Amino acid sequence: MSEDCRIGVYICNCGTNIAKVVNAEWVSAQVSGLPNVVCAHAYKYMCSNPGQELITRDIREQRLDRVVVAASSPRMHEPTFRKALEAAGLNPYLLEMANIREQCSWVHDDPRAASAKAADLTHAAIRRVRHHKPLEKREANYTPATLVLGGGIAGLTAAVELAEANQQVFLVERETRLGGNVGRADLTAPYLDSARDILTEKISRAKDSPRIEILTGTELVDLQGFVGNFRATVKSAAGDERELPVGAVLVCTGYQEFDATRIERLGYGRYPDVITSFELEKRLAEGRLETDDGRVPRYVSIVHCVGSRNPRYHPYCSRVCCMTALKYGHEIKSALPAATVTDIYVDMLSFGKGGEDLYRRTSELKTMFLMYEKGDPPRVRPAERGDDCGLLVQVNERLSGEIIDVPADLVVLMVGMEARSDSDEVARITGISRDPQGWFIESHPKLAPVSTATEGVYIAGCCQSPKDIPDSVAQARAAAAMVLAHVARGRIEIDARFAEVDDDLCSGCRMCNELCPYTAISFDAERRRSSVESALCKACGTCVAACPSGALSARHFTDDQIFDQIEGVLAWSSNR
Amino acid sequence: MEFEPVIVGFLCNWCSYTGADLAGTARIKHAPNLRTIRVMCSGRVDPTFVLKAFAAGADGVLVCGCHPGDCHYIEGNYKAMRRFELLKRMVAGYGIDERRLRLEWVSASEGERFARLVDEMTADLRRLGPCELAPTLVPWQSDLGTLAGEAAAAEREVTHG
Repeated sequence: MSEDCRIGVYICNCGTNIAKVVNAEWVSAQVSGLPNVVCAHAYKYMCSNPGQELITRDIREQRLDRVVVAASSPRMHEPTFRKALEAAGLNPYLLEMANIREQCSWVHDDPRAASAKAADLTHAAIRRVRHHKPLEKREANYTPATLVLGGGIAGLTAAVELAEANQQVFLVERETRLGGNVGRADLTAPYLDSARDILTEKISRAKDSPRIEILTGTELVDLQGFVGNFRATVKSAAGDERELPVGAVLVCTGYQEFDATRIERLGYGRYPDVITSFELEKRLAEGRLETDDGRVPRYVSIVHCVGSRNPRYHPYCSRVCCMTALKYGHEIKSALPAATVTDIYVDMLSFGKGGEDLYRRTSELKTMFLMYEKGDPPRVRPAERGDDCGLLVQVNERLSGEIIDVPADLVVLMVGMEARSDSDEVARITGISRDPQGWFIESHPKLAPVSTATEGVYIAGCCQSPKDIPDSVAQARAAAAMVLAHVARGRIEIDARFAEVDDDLCSGCRMCNELCPYTAISFDAERRRSSVESALCKACGTCVAACPSGALSARHFTDDQIFDQIEGVLAWSSNR
Repeated sequence: MEFEPVIVGFLCNWCSYTGADLAGTARIKHAPNLRTIRVMCSGRVDPTFVLKAFAAGADGVLVCGCHPGDCHYIEGNYKAMRRFELLKRMVAGYGIDERRLRLEWVSASEGERFARLVDEMTADLRRLGPCELAPTLVPWQSDLGTLAGEAAAAEREVTHG
């Protein structure tokens, strides 16, 4: 521990985000008398330029050599404040943050208890930072090749984008053809342009590019290494394995459609004229808008939200189905002007550019709209003798409050999107987290929408959540831009945190050797000592916790840092 | 005044700490009794951290990691789980009620689960009252200090002797 270190403490109000519940001035007064604390300030916005300048000025004028910032989560602003320290010539690792927003002011109502907690967390950070040591960041080369996983619209877009910036791309697709789910659509909403046109252009550019190696019928089976230096193992359908050295991985694995047989009352799988939206797309593309036995349908019913916005199946909205259903209204009416089209929906979500306009145009085509209660989907049954249709769709209609039988020769189910059944496997291999519905989780929902918890692994398109083609394309290009930013820098900065062995303390018991999942620890039989290969170490600290001789230590998460932090959070608790 | 327990939480950076942050961004209110210490992985939680927390006056200790199969470091949480079983017995040996020590899995998307967990543990500890046995750990703490000193001296002798 640095006994005579000089600590500056900064407590952020975050406008009213923190100040509303936590009394930052009081916290500042509580900690200002603690050993080694040279100054303590409460300030409106610590992450603002004037806030950061407060820190850099104090570092220079008050000769601070440690900084504590009590503010938002370190997951949000640790990089910001580390840069502030660097700007003042201080090693960035001499910073410690106390999370008094996400884990305090935003989740507690009682100002007294929240302020006490904020003071404890700040106290702990002050105790901890005294043990911090300046650490040097490491650098590594960046392999200028990218693995794009998934050959749908997102993967194709990213691959083409990267290739045009002169990057080598491996485009890996599990299926035998490129195009993904967009390749199964006929026209696209809201402008009714052809999905095939959109795709063909991308696919031919990908195929023509000398920098894109397309590997269809191939899947990713293993991913090792770290940002800039991954080794991806892919396996072809024939069972041939191949290792690809890549700097980044773009995961664009898309979605699968909801299995409509799960909602029994819709009759899918039981009545041949109940079909899914994808099956209708196929018939439209083939110019064969007819029933199962080849008749021209006079009545077409379109059922929205099949599997979506229903707590029994998927609670979320699949985003594209309302627009697609309105598009069907147009396509059916233009092919069969005499047909009656009925949209049986929950809410019409015609968001986004051109959406409301498509809704208006479809309404003008004299299609009928009937509303049903969320969680109470219509019931499909065969029509009776004397009815002039094949099926009857019974709707508990919300606006009229009546139970209505809608005639239908063809029932189209707008099946929602769901996470692919193999998303758990992809997540495990690539180190991405999934939400309860199975969608991949981005680093930050607003500020880092295509990054993941694993640096160098990005997500784009529907594997992250349901979205339309423009949003998938935007994400794919954003992910490509993230990769190109790394390429432009040429080298990769690796975190300075890793485990190390104190040779004098190591007893050579080899307990740590087996624990490391990255095989970063090796044993020198001659010296009878274990040692850590720092480039392979990812700093989880599992070996450190297991070392019986205390010979292993985790840089920036050392025992004495954490011990003092424990004492810090508890120091005042007995007095309250 | 009603007794308010203090819980020391060790949360892994990738799942549980992020889940706790999510409880914040979603404004899911919960009891203000937890004091969190961030570790990179639940596998980093040295049993002595837990004993230290009890010795320093914690009424409860909560260790949170990624769900089995979801560990950012592949299998650190399994290591934590194995260690935890032994630790639980050891803590019981010190006369500490086993409800005061919990290992739970909280993913990055489980803000709600995290909040309910903190509420639940706080309520349990309110019923159990203060962790009276902390004083019995105090001599243990000084013993450990002495032992560490002796061990270090012995090591110096062996290596430089």
